Amino acid sequence: MWKFSVRRILIMIPQIILLSILIFILAKMMPGDALSGMVDPNVSPERLEELRESLGWNDPWYVQYGDWVGGVVQGDLGQSFRFKMPVSEIVGQRIINTFWLSLATLIFTYLIAIPLGITSGRYNDSLLDQAITSYTYIGFATPLFIFALVMLWVFGFMLGWFPTSGSVSPGLEPGTFEYVMSKIYHLILPAIAMALITTVNTVQYLRSEIIDTKQKDFIITARAKGASESRVYNRHILRNSLLPLAAFFGFEITGLIGGTIFVENIFGYPGMGQLFLESITLRDYSVVTAVTLLFGIAAILGALLSDIILSLVDPRIRIK
Amino acid sequence: MAFLEVEDLKVHFPIKGGIFGRTVDYVRAVDGVSLSLEKGKTYGLVGESGSGKTTTGRAIIGLNKITSGKVTFDGNDISNLKSRSEVRKDVQMIFQDPYSSLNPKKRVIDIVAEPLRNFEKLSKKEEKIRVQELLELVGLSPESILKYPHEFSGGQRQRIGIARAIALKPKLIIADEPVSALDVSVQAQVLNFMQDIQQELDLTYLFIGHDLGVIKHMCDKIGIMYKGRYVEEGTTEEIFNNPQHIYTKRLVAAIPDIDPKRRQEQTQFRQEVKTEYEQSYNDYFDDEGLAYKLQPVTDTHLVALPEKG
Amino acid sequence: MSEKLLEVKNLKTSFRIKDDYYAAVDDVSLSVNKNEVLAIVGESGCGKSALAFSIMGLHNRAKIEGNIMFKNQDIANISPAKLNKLRGNNMGMIFQDPLTALNPLMEIGDQIGEALLLHNKDLSKEKRKDKVIQLLTKVGIPRPEHVYEQFPHELSGGMRQRVVIATAIANEPELLIADEPTTALDVTIQSQILDLIKELKDDMDAGIIMITHDLGVVAEMADRVAVMYAGQIVEVSDVYTLFESPLHPYTRSLFNSVPNTAEAQSKLHVIQGIVPSLQKLPREGCRFSARIPWVEESAHEEHPELHEVSPGHFVRCTCYKHFNFPDSSKEEQQHGIS
Repeated sequence: MWKFSVRRILIMIPQIILLSILIFILAKMMPGDALSGMVDPNVSPERLEELRESLGWNDPWYVQYGDWVGGVVQGDLGQSFRFKMPVSEIVGQRIINTFWLSLATLIFTYLIAIPLGITSGRYNDSLLDQAITSYTYIGFATPLFIFALVMLWVFGFMLGWFPTSGSVSPGLEPGTFEYVMSKIYHLILPAIAMALITTVNTVQYLRSEIIDTKQKDFIITARAKGASESRVYNRHILRNSLLPLAAFFGFEITGLIGGTIFVENIFGYPGMGQLFLESITLRDYSVVTAVTLLFGIAAILGALLSDIILSLVDPRIRIK
Repeated sequence: MAFLEVEDLKVHFPIKGGIFGRTVDYVRAVDGVSLSLEKGKTYGLVGESGSGKTTTGRAIIGLNKITSGKVTFDGNDISNLKSRSEVRKDVQMIFQDPYSSLNPKKRVIDIVAEPLRNFEKLSKKEEKIRVQELLELVGLSPESILKYPHEFSGGQRQRIGIARAIALKPKLIIADEPVSALDVSVQAQVLNFMQDIQQELDLTYLFIGHDLGVIKHMCDKIGIMYKGRYVEEGTTEEIFNNPQHIYTKRLVAAIPDIDPKRRQEQTQFRQEVKTEYEQSYNDYFDDEGLAYKLQPVTDTHLVALPEKG
Repeated sequence: MSEKLLEVKNLKTSFRIKDDYYAAVDDVSLSVNKNEVLAIVGESGCGKSALAFSIMGLHNRAKIEGNIMFKNQDIANISPAKLNKLRGNNMGMIFQDPLTALNPLMEIGDQIGEALLLHNKDLSKEKRKDKVIQLLTKVGIPRPEHVYEQFPHELSGGMRQRVVIATAIANEPELLIADEPTTALDVTIQSQILDLIKELKDDMDAGIIMITHDLGVVAEMADRVAVMYAGQIVEVSDVYTLFESPLHPYTRSLFNSVPNTAEAQSKLHVIQGIVPSLQKLPREGCRFSARIPWVEESAHEEHPELHEVSPGHFVRCTCYKHFNFPDSSKEEQQHGIS
């Protein structure tokens, strides 16, 4: 087991290095730098050149890359030109918000997917299954940002059931019960909006897994042992069908990253996604680079997590 | 020199292990097999699952990489890829499962004509005529060229596979368990047919199988494999009536007797062989449980026994 | 006279294809006694597996007509709860492919233990484990404590089949149905498994239905044999009579197409035509007539019945009286398929 995990983690290292090089090169290719627009126009070009020199911006790319990576490893993601504060500090606040939003979305995703997928798979080709399958097709076809806007308009503005922006009501003391409740309250609508769309993959996947497992020979063996229909479902079909969902977990996380970018902007939720888009429009490159790097690492970690989960639960690939 | 000569063939597959996925060991799927086929004859390669019989066949035709050893066909060394291309059309293969070895999305004409398209430049019309001839030869109606594999029964599909294999008028056919997936009456059709075209086209067969009844029916000479090595080789007569190696004896004893009245004797005989197998296991296999090198008993009969002395 | 364990009367199992029902098992009657092996022989599509599944009640969406009397109780259409009390307890089943018949994600011990748990809720966990270890030993698995915790993929084909058998016999069933139990196995393993089934039969005094296409297996195992073609039994007899003087044209054709019995290198007999698919099964007259076209039509009965030709030996249709193999004209044999 540990051998597999160690090997799997070792594979991650070149992945992350490659990712960081890619992001660094893309960042360098972006036109202009922080000095070209932000500094007093009275400063002479010679002085700017001197500044660039002293900031190390004229060094060869690999030296600059080394400096950047060295900083990143120590938690120094650079300086935001917009907020005039370290990127790590800005990201630090946002990343927690995004984490909670993602977690809530994941919970809703599985809360919706598991019962729907099971019903759909168990009673396949029934009316109920057709209704669920129709929902998944609609989910596939509906763009998340439009759906999120509609949800915001209906439940936020028209019905007024949920707050329409922010991550917490102003004026509450962090750590109090009201503060936590307000946090949760702000989470629910964006999380549900996102989950309703992203869950359709999982519903379909689970449905086809169950239909597949239902036809396996060992299900007949179970019936021949005298197991009742409910036991056949609970002990044999469900267990064997839920397992592959673990492998799906990594994709789930990648999907979430894309989702948060839309949803946070639409719901005005101060997380990484919102920060990302804002920083792009304002050309706050050091923030963009940092956020991209973190998103990339999250995706790689997601894949790692599903591999490890799968190797833990599936005896066929479990390594002793 | 024999028509097909295999000398000390080895096919080893690497086992990856450790944190860096290095090769830590090899699976010795085929570990020093030598055999020779006479033209126009059928050679049976027998073994249980995991014995390396299929790998041997696949290595001869080039579907598995040869680790070491030499394969000579009709005087040409075909052990490596380069030299093989010249004789590729002369050696064809028939596969075990007629249900999965034919592409379900292709029509019969495309399946059968595929080797023709690779090796011969025929016009559409010529190609169609050739395919129809081939289908007739395997006993299928020439009108069926536009059908898909699923429209045929198992035996008919295996005939399509055979039509494809003989399209280029090969000299050697490697048949990998060609009837294992078929019912007995369909099996009879295919076996009869294979014998018919053998005479008609002067074919040589390497017949890989585990059903000793079929092997006995089809083959002139038989080689018995166990864990990648030969344990015994001889004429059909020698193998079935005078098996020398304990493994061969056990294999022959395990064949169900078609006469229910001989049940008692059969059980007793099997019990004797079993006892002998257990008692003399160490005399026939080395420390790793592998067979020894073959020693001649007669001109045609070879048995894997430890060297004397 | 030994005790009658199972009696199937006029069983008809039909499957729905599009809007019509087609009978895969068509008016089959048979019986099995205690400590008796009944072999059911036939080629794929003859309905032998459908028959076995009907007896075990394993068809999900089939229409079952007729009676299946198990110890004088009709189990053809009983409630699932009642059926589940019998299945795995009084009746056990051994399947063809031991790899797919086992749950890949469940430990061997749990899979066998499940059969015990379902029919004996009072058995403590420890006692259950002891019993499973006993069963594993009984079916000849070395190091049972170790195998108990293993998963199916860690075992060889022969060992897996032993596990399947251990599951089937966990509650010492009176009736054991074996559906091609050795088809997926190597020949040396096959003889071991057959020996094991024989041993268990004597041990438990069980009745066994052995579904197979292999006449060699029949010769070794069976007390009585039923030959099936196109959903019907065409011949039933004790094994010695059947192998000595098979009567029905289909039975005789089968015997002649097996390489084992034929003289080496001689031609095998080929049955003309192909086994018809379920939708195309002939429902009228002698179902085998299309495959022996040289036999005159008048030789067949209009509604072929099973005739008792000698005590316990039944043959369907009268055509057997007029049946001869065509003299081995090459034409006939080479192009079996039209």
